[in-house]
Amino acid sequence: MAFLPSPPDAGPFKRSFWRSPLRGPWLASFLSSALLPLIVICALTGFLSHAAYDTDLGENAVFGDKGGFDFYFFDWPSSPAWLYAVTQGLHIITGLAAIPILLAKLWAVIPKLFESPPVRSLAHGLERLGLALLVGGTLFVFATGVLNIQLWYPFGFAFVPAHYYGAFIFLGALAFHIGTKIKVMRRAYRDQGIVRPLRDDLAHTRPEAEPTDEHEETSAPANPAAPTLTRRALVATVGAGSVGLAVMGAGQVIGGPFRSLAFLAPRGEGFGSGPNDFQVNKTFASVGIKRDEVGPDWGLILQVGDERKVKLSRAQLLAMDQVTEKLPIACVEGWTTTQEWSGVRLSELARMAGAAQDAEVQVRSVQKGGAFNQATLNSGQLNEQRSLLALKVNGADLSLDHGFPARVIVPALPGVHCTKWVGKMVFSA
Amino acid sequence: MSALRARYGAGPLHLLGVLAALVISAYALSRVFSLLPQPLSFFVWFVGAIVLHDLLFLPGYSLLGSGVARVVAGDGPPSRVRIAALNHLRVPVLLAGLALLVFFPVVLRTGETTFKAANGLTPDVYLGRWLALTAVLLVGSLLVFCIRLPRLRRQ
Repeated sequence: MAFLPSPPDAGPFKRSFWRSPLRGPWLASFLSSALLPLIVICALTGFLSHAAYDTDLGENAVFGDKGGFDFYFFDWPSSPAWLYAVTQGLHIITGLAAIPILLAKLWAVIPKLFESPPVRSLAHGLERLGLALLVGGTLFVFATGVLNIQLWYPFGFAFVPAHYYGAFIFLGALAFHIGTKIKVMRRAYRDQGIVRPLRDDLAHTRPEAEPTDEHEETSAPANPAAPTLTRRALVATVGAGSVGLAVMGAGQVIGGPFRSLAFLAPRGEGFGSGPNDFQVNKTFASVGIKRDEVGPDWGLILQVGDERKVKLSRAQLLAMDQVTEKLPIACVEGWTTTQEWSGVRLSELARMAGAAQDAEVQVRSVQKGGAFNQATLNSGQLNEQRSLLALKVNGADLSLDHGFPARVIVPALPGVHCTKWVGKMVFSA
Repeated sequence: MSALRARYGAGPLHLLGVLAALVISAYALSRVFSLLPQPLSFFVWFVGAIVLHDLLFLPGYSLLGSGVARVVAGDGPPSRVRIAALNHLRVPVLLAGLALLVFFPVVLRTGETTFKAANGLTPDVYLGRWLALTAVLLVGSLLVFCIRLPRLRRQ
């Protein structure tokens, strides 16, 4: 049953065009088996990252509206302190590690793109439409993610909603793809064993069998060339690439001395050795704050609802009980830095303002524009004893790049919600 | 049921599954349309990614690879030495290429302005680092090849 005119029986549309003896259902299945756990972890941690922004609070909604599957039913916890460093670190590490396997998988099945006839039945046509969504969705999500962590934004759209809803397309199509291919995978493993083809040396590296079922065209070659690479060498090369990229990711997630392992990763550059010499997310120079806005006249305004309670100078804040906590700050871009922060407990400021026990707080920066010049913290984060309005780091005053005169630091909170250059805290009435 | 199989080409689960995937995609696209001021650019990147990978990138590296293979391994049945030489060349090149493919924005400094605005550093160290990685991979592979060579010749 042909729904479309057949393509010419030439070039890539000819079965004999594809010569590699390594391609076939076993190779595709094996690569998929390695890919799937990475994608599952990457997807789950991706959605968790969205939850970590507590998008239902205040103006936290990253999409600018509260429609769609953009709501969560739990407040993001503030313990353990390394929670977000681990979930978001895993997101970036598994995402990077998946890339070489994904590329190898696409290479393994490319002959199927040119299969003939292009559409055998309605089911086959819809399945191929699903594949277009799968391949497009995968490449889209991975490409935007990789560009975003390197701080290059050549796409003309907002990253977060595009990456988030691109993932919906990708994951929906992936679930269907797994459903249709699980048979192929089971058959390949039954016929050839799960790892048996990895034992073959070059002399024993033979093409996978031609499909026996005439309705199922596979990626195994009809006209194979002599092998020049074993399957285990191919898998080892892909695995080496995967491990290498994972190490790059892990180095900037763990930080400290391990950062040097991430020598190609965007956060693999070291700063000096001073108290303020660690990774910056937004520099002071880039946010358009005037020097005198954070000068001697700066003061922190505490409000409960619309009612202004008190304005505290930096000297007054420094005269309050100072607490020091060693806490990681983790960025959505998959890097972490752990420092010793000193300042005033947020709960102490809440008490001073006379806020209710279960209040939330919106922290506003003196920064005028920008997507993250404010963030609302849930009451758990506000009451957490390690949540600070930090005035110092590693014993020294915060630098302007790190949020002088004062910044928020809350355990397990995405870094960009740890507002810098704080001007005002508005507790919910 | 068999009528469905005859007309549709697969069972009811297949139909349900593909419809579910399409509904999820349609929903995601509707959100993209309501959230992004330029939803067309989403399409351009989505379709562009397929075209770029399947019709340019993959054929490009395949042609390059088979060209190199012809030069190194020759046209006839290749000797073990030639096959090993080919692999000791293409594996490090593949890995260095992968590193460049993933990290080209910092290596080639395409996003230098936004990079500097974010962390105050310039990405000018990365080209040197990538070149060093490439050199280490190639030289390392060459050394291993030299060590293997006597044994390959004997076989």
